Amino acid sequence: MFSELFLPVLMVIFMLIVGGYAVAVLDRLVASALGTSQDGGIWLAPMARGAWLLTQHANATEAPDWRAWRLAPALYLALAAGGLAVVPWSASLVATDLVTSVVLWGSVEALATVVIFLHGWSANSLLALIGGYRYVALGLSYILISMFVLIGVALPAESLQFTQVVASQAELWNVIRQPLGLPLFLIVGLGMTFWGPLNLADSTDLAGGTASEISGPPRLVWDMARAAMLVAFSGVAATAFLGGWLGPWLPGPLWMAIKMLAVLFVLLLLGRLLPRLAPERCVTLMWVVLLPLSFIDLVWAGIGALL
Amino acid sequence: MESMNHGIGVDIAFLLLATLAVVTGWRVFRTDSMVRASFFLLVSFIAVGVIMILLAAEYLGVAMFFMMAVEMTVMALFMVMFMMNPAGLNPMNMVHQERIAIGAGVAGFLVLGVMALLAAFPDQPVPAGLDPVRSLGNEMLGDSMLIFESAGLVLLTTMIGVVVLSSHRGRYGAAAEGSMPPGLEPGGDPAGKPEEDEEGEGGHHHHHHHH
Repeated sequence: MFSELFLPVLMVIFMLIVGGYAVAVLDRLVASALGTSQDGGIWLAPMARGAWLLTQHANATEAPDWRAWRLAPALYLALAAGGLAVVPWSASLVATDLVTSVVLWGSVEALATVVIFLHGWSANSLLALIGGYRYVALGLSYILISMFVLIGVALPAESLQFTQVVASQAELWNVIRQPLGLPLFLIVGLGMTFWGPLNLADSTDLAGGTASEISGPPRLVWDMARAAMLVAFSGVAATAFLGGWLGPWLPGPLWMAIKMLAVLFVLLLLGRLLPRLAPERCVTLMWVVLLPLSFIDLVWAGIGALL
Repeated sequence: MESMNHGIGVDIAFLLLATLAVVTGWRVFRTDSMVRASFFLLVSFIAVGVIMILLAAEYLGVAMFFMMAVEMTVMALFMVMFMMNPAGLNPMNMVHQERIAIGAGVAGFLVLGVMALLAAFPDQPVPAGLDPVRSLGNEMLGDSMLIFESAGLVLLTTMIGVVVLSSHRGRYGAAAEGSMPPGLEPGGDPAGKPEEDEEGEGGHHHHHHHH
């Protein structure tokens, strides 16, 4: 009972906390390496900010939908936890080895759309609402691209289970077998966590978008949830394309951590380097360029599976 | 697999999820906002999806999550777009035709209740070697392939058609180019297009007719 129920939960909570902290530290490291000045030390500043947010007053708007507004950040964190739960650390070390874990990750992406919209909508405030609508308009294209790319990695594995997807990469990683997959999936990751160039839901042109009205503890949960979602996404990307726990010399979980950190680093670097896209252009880019590319990726994967 | 042993945990989970599904389903009709109603319905469906996973329908249960998530989001947004209730935060009555609805609800409850009490449900444990995902895939892409592929093609055609029709930009300019909204009365002036010289006056009653 203990090992079946509590151990996976503890594992996911541990990854939520450590992962969120890793994102904050890594982002600061990237920023200072690029010459952006950072106030406070790299290692302590995230904790100081968290502690400061905890003591701050939680903002209130006029007649918000209180329950949805307070629940949305927690639900986004819960979705990140759901994503982390299906990421395998080795053939046996995985919180939930569901046979449809690839589909579950697809559901996490779809439900994220609901939660982000709810976060923007429930504040009863203009800019937050625009941010929420923006995410829904874009989120559909992210989900579709991600779905085609993930069906592509499920084909050689002949399974919808992430552990099987990793096992199918023993000879050749999917990043080489399906060269379009990882770049497309990284774009989905930036979009889904609305990070860097694809931060259109919480962007500065909307004064913070869906998060424009939140402060104090809800803000802390929202920021943590976004960081945790980025970690969950890196875990899925490393599992689906970089061979997961596979690798010589080192133990599996360590390889997994290295690969996750590498994906995380690339995402945070892209987030710091690229300018934000205009939402209209982003929709065109997604539907006209990236979605057809994901079709090509799927056809490529299908032909590869047939040969 | 928990569902194979069928421990007490599964029973507790089923009862909690069934209660959640029923309570949120009831809230759909008691709330006063279309967005809230849609997402209560989503929670209800998610609870049903988890129950399906408990019943070893691992693909269908998880598929329920993402299908309903996208479906309810689109439904909520479209309802807000087409109703005179911007953003859906203003309270509005969600119940209409109450007598018929109550009658239909009672009749439906009685029929389903009688079925639940009197029907002979199969009492077969899940076979040990069952692979629900594979068997579902064989079913859908085996004998029933023609049906599913035709349905898929029709849906895809519909989707592309809707996108083309609703696209704001077209090959010959904006989609609304040259189109006129219908009049409020037969043969009347186009609605929502006040003439420039009468701007500010508002209302179509004062418009002079061209005929």
